[in-house]
Amino acid sequence: MSAAKRVQQWATFARTWHVFDCKWQDPYESAHVIKKYLMGLHKPIYHPMNDCGDVVVCINSKDIALRGNEWRKRAYFHHTGYPGGASWTLAWELHNKDPTMIIKKAVYRSMTGNLQRRHTMQRLFIYPEDKVPEDVMQNVTNQIRQIRLVPTRLDHIPEEEVKNFPKIMDYPEDYVLK
Amino acid sequence: MASLVRAAFSVSKNSLISTSVRSISTTKQLNIKEIREKVEGGNIVVEAVNVPSPRTELLVRAENLGPLKTIDVSEAVKSDKAPCYMCSLGLDVKHTDVLILSQFVRSDGCMLPRRITGLCKRQQKKIGKMVSMAQKAGLMINLTPANCKKDPTKRKDYKKFNTYFDETTIFMKNVPRWTDRFKFRQSAK
Repeated sequence: MSAAKRVQQWATFARTWHVFDCKWQDPYESAHVIKKYLMGLHKPIYHPMNDCGDVVVCINSKDIALRGNEWRKRAYFHHTGYPGGASWTLAWELHNKDPTMIIKKAVYRSMTGNLQRRHTMQRLFIYPEDKVPEDVMQNVTNQIRQIRLVPTRLDHIPEEEVKNFPKIMDYPEDYVLK
Repeated sequence: MASLVRAAFSVSKNSLISTSVRSISTTKQLNIKEIREKVEGGNIVVEAVNVPSPRTELLVRAENLGPLKTIDVSEAVKSDKAPCYMCSLGLDVKHTDVLILSQFVRSDGCMLPRRITGLCKRQQKKIGKMVSMAQKAGLMINLTPANCKKDPTKRKDYKKFNTYFDETTIFMKNVPRWTDRFKFRQSAK
């Protein structure tokens, strides 16, 4: 085996660590992307029986964005097993209790329920803020592209730029500025 | 009887005075004005100062763009009427484009009425909805009423978390649930 082939062999079967910034990302959309990296679906050598999945580190999970009115409409169901033990927790209530839980459940639900799923989930690290332990961060070699653009707030744009931005609407001649 | 007399008196008075006060002018009576308040000693002086429009020089119109102008067929009204300035620009405006949406609101973040914006009915509705989307997402917090909780993270319950919106739902009568994929795909087309 030549030296180049040996390196290729190592690179093919090594576990890569990816980082994913959840800021302003929909957890249910990004779960489908994260899932592919966790299971190794993005690799040409993928086979369900070979262990080729990567590790994904999710940061800023408290800043996820849900669509429309989903914070108050989406409910998470839990049953204790006892009679009357059913409970429904709204997404915003769950996010108050644990800001990593929504993204974790979204990735878990995006995968099919087989024996491999819980082992695959072990390779997912979620952190509510951008503070990641050093021993985790030193392994990271790749960043997964965000799905949606992070919006810019109007008060964060410099005033000069807002003033000189091309205008579409002009006031009528008898308008009183407010 | 007394109320009848009073009503008749007020009607006659209004008709007399309003006609006598009303004046005819051949030029524009009003210009763009700015209301300025200042305190002089113990008195508050309120004056309306005529100002030139701050936007005239930066104004973009489709007819001035020449060959660059594009008309979005889906947005342009398919009737004989000429499309409004927003339709003829054919811009794909999202609710995150705060630099465009902030031109259509007052300083308290309230959408301007159609007699001032001069948009067609469909665009007025669309931009009005996108303004409220941007406000709910907390993207224009410097254009809000004084009593508003400006920082979105300090809002209550579900309002303090980040929310994004889908512009294809603006003209939907019933927004289907996210789980109802078949219906959603059909209506999005």
